Amino acid sequence: MQKGVPKQEVSPFEEGVSKKKTSSFKKGEARLGYLLIAPALILIVAIIFYPVIYNIWLSLHEVSLNPNRPNTFVGLQNYINLITDSSFWHSVWITIIFTVLTVAGATIVGLAVALLLNNSFKGRGFVRSVVLLPYVAPLISVVFVWQYMFNPVYGMVNYTLGEKLGIMSQSIDWLNDPTAALWLVIIFDIWHLFPFSFMMILAKLQSIDKSLYEAAEIDGANLWHKIRHVTLPELTLVLGSLVILRFIWNFYKFDEIYLLTKQVPVVGVYTYQTAFATYDHGLAAAITATLFIIVMGFVLVAVRRVLKW
Amino acid sequence: MVTKNKKINRIILYCLITLTVVTTVFPFLVMLSTSLKTGQEATSTTPTLLPKDITFEHFIDVLNPAVFPFWSYFSNSMIISLSTAFLAVVIGTLGAYSFARLEYKGRGAFQKGVLMIYMFSGILLVVPLFQMITSVNLYDTKLSLVITYLVLTMPVALYMLGNYFRTIPISLEEAAMIDGLSRFKVIFKIVIPLSIPAIASVFIYVFMISWNEYLFASVFITSEENMTLPIGLSHLFHTKHYVWGRMMAASLLTAVPVVVLFGLLEKYFTGGLTEGGVKE
Repeated sequence: MQKGVPKQEVSPFEEGVSKKKTSSFKKGEARLGYLLIAPALILIVAIIFYPVIYNIWLSLHEVSLNPNRPNTFVGLQNYINLITDSSFWHSVWITIIFTVLTVAGATIVGLAVALLLNNSFKGRGFVRSVVLLPYVAPLISVVFVWQYMFNPVYGMVNYTLGEKLGIMSQSIDWLNDPTAALWLVIIFDIWHLFPFSFMMILAKLQSIDKSLYEAAEIDGANLWHKIRHVTLPELTLVLGSLVILRFIWNFYKFDEIYLLTKQVPVVGVYTYQTAFATYDHGLAAAITATLFIIVMGFVLVAVRRVLKW
Repeated sequence: MVTKNKKINRIILYCLITLTVVTTVFPFLVMLSTSLKTGQEATSTTPTLLPKDITFEHFIDVLNPAVFPFWSYFSNSMIISLSTAFLAVVIGTLGAYSFARLEYKGRGAFQKGVLMIYMFSGILLVVPLFQMITSVNLYDTKLSLVITYLVLTMPVALYMLGNYFRTIPISLEEAAMIDGLSRFKVIFKIVIPLSIPAIASVFIYVFMISWNEYLFASVFITSEENMTLPIGLSHLFHTKHYVWGRMMAASLLTAVPVVVLFGLLEKYFTGGLTEGGVKE
C-alpha cells in the first residue's frame, strides 16, 4: 500500500499541491500500479511469453521423448521438413476454406439474427437468450448430438434429406467422407459461433441513435435504405473487429473440428496430431512457430489498420 | 392497405423468429429426446423426433458410479472451473484497476500486449507448455489446468474489467480519497461493489471456458481420477459404455451447470462481454 504517502493533503485533486508532494504521490501511484498488475503479468510472462520463445528453441531441435535425455540440435531441419511436406500445405488449404466460409457465415447469420431480434415482439428477451445457447452450451455435449444427427446409418439428417424429401439419392457419410466432413464442420461451426457475432452486433444496434432513423424516414427511406445508409455504417467497426478476431480464432481452431470428425486436417488438428499422435514435438514446434509469425504479421498489419490499436 | 401490409410484415417477422429459434434449439431437443429413448429406438433406421417409450435408465446409469464415473469427472470439472474463475476474478480485478486508473511507465505497452494475447490460441502453446508442465512435474494434475486456463482467460478478464472500471465516475474515487481513503481502500470499498456486474460476467466467462476446455485437458491429464467432463465423455465415446442414450444423458447433465449459471447471470454476461470483448 502507499508507503510514505501521507494521506489527504497529497491528493493531486486538491488545488495548490506543491510539486514535490505531487511527484511523491505519483511515485506511490506508480508503485501500486506495478504491484497490482504484477500477478497477472508474471503469469502471462511465464505461461505465454516464455513458452513462445521456448517453442522457437524446441523447433530447432529433435525433441527427445524421454524427458531425461537431451534434445539434439538440428538447425532448420524441422522447417525444411515442414515446407517440403505436401500434407502440411494441404492442411493450410483446408484451413483457409474452413476459415473463410465460417467467418463469413457466422458474421452474416449473426448480423441477420441481430437485425431480426432488434424488432420489438413478445418474448424478445427470452428469444435473445435462447439464441445464445449454441455458444454457451459445452462443446462436448453439442458435438455428440451433431454426430448423432449426422450418423450415416440412423441419423435423422440423411433420413430426412434422403427418404423424406428425396433431395439426396444416396446417403452421405458425413463423419467419414473428407468432403462431406468439411461441410459438416463448416455448418456446425457457423451454428456454434453465430451467437457471439449476434451478441456483439445487437449491443451496437441498441446504441444507435433513434433520431437517425427518424430523419431517414422523413426523407422517405424504406427499410432497406435505412439498413443500407444508417445501420450498416454504424456497424462497420464492430463488423470489422468481429471478422478479424474470428478469422484469427478460426484459423487455429482445433477442438470442435477434432471432436466432430477426424477427416478435416486443419492446421490445429495437424499440429495436434504431429505433437501427440506421432510425438514429433520438434516438428510441431516448427509448425506453431511458423503459424505464429504469419498470424502476428496479419495482426500487426490488419488489426492495427482496421481497429486502430 | 397499410394495416394489411403491417399484418403481413408481422407474420413474416414471427415466421423468421420461429425459424431462428428452431434452428438454435433443435439439437438440444434431439439430445433430450434421445436421452429418454430406449437403446433400440435410438438406433432405429427410421428416426423419430419424439421417444415412443420414455425411459430414465440412461440418467440412472450415468449417475451410478458403479457404471460410469460421471460424478468424479463432474467434481473435477467443478473444482478446476471454480478455482480458475475465482483466481481470475481476484488477479484480474487488481490488474485491471492498475490499467484503468493508475499511471506508470509501460502501462500502454502492457495494455497492447494484453490485446495481442487476446488473439492467441491454445494450440500455439500446447507443445512448449506440455514440455514445461512435464519438466516441473505437474503432468496429470488439476493444478496444471488451473494455471493454464487462468492465463488463457486473463486477457479477456483484464480487458472486460478495465473497460468497466473506466465507466465508474472518477469523481467518486477522488472524493473518497479526499476523505482520506487510500487507493487500496477505494478499490475495496467503492470500485469492487460498483463492479459486481462486470465481476460476475468475468466469473461466468472464465468458468464457461474452463468447463468446456478440451485441448489442454486431453494433453495434460491421463489418469481417470483427474479427468474433466470433456475428456471423460470423449473417452466414454470410445468404450463399451458407448450407448447413445447414455451419451445424450451425460451431455445434458454436462450442460446444466453452465446453462443455469448463464441463465442466472445472462444480463451481466452479455453486457460484460460486449463491453469488453470487442474494442469500440
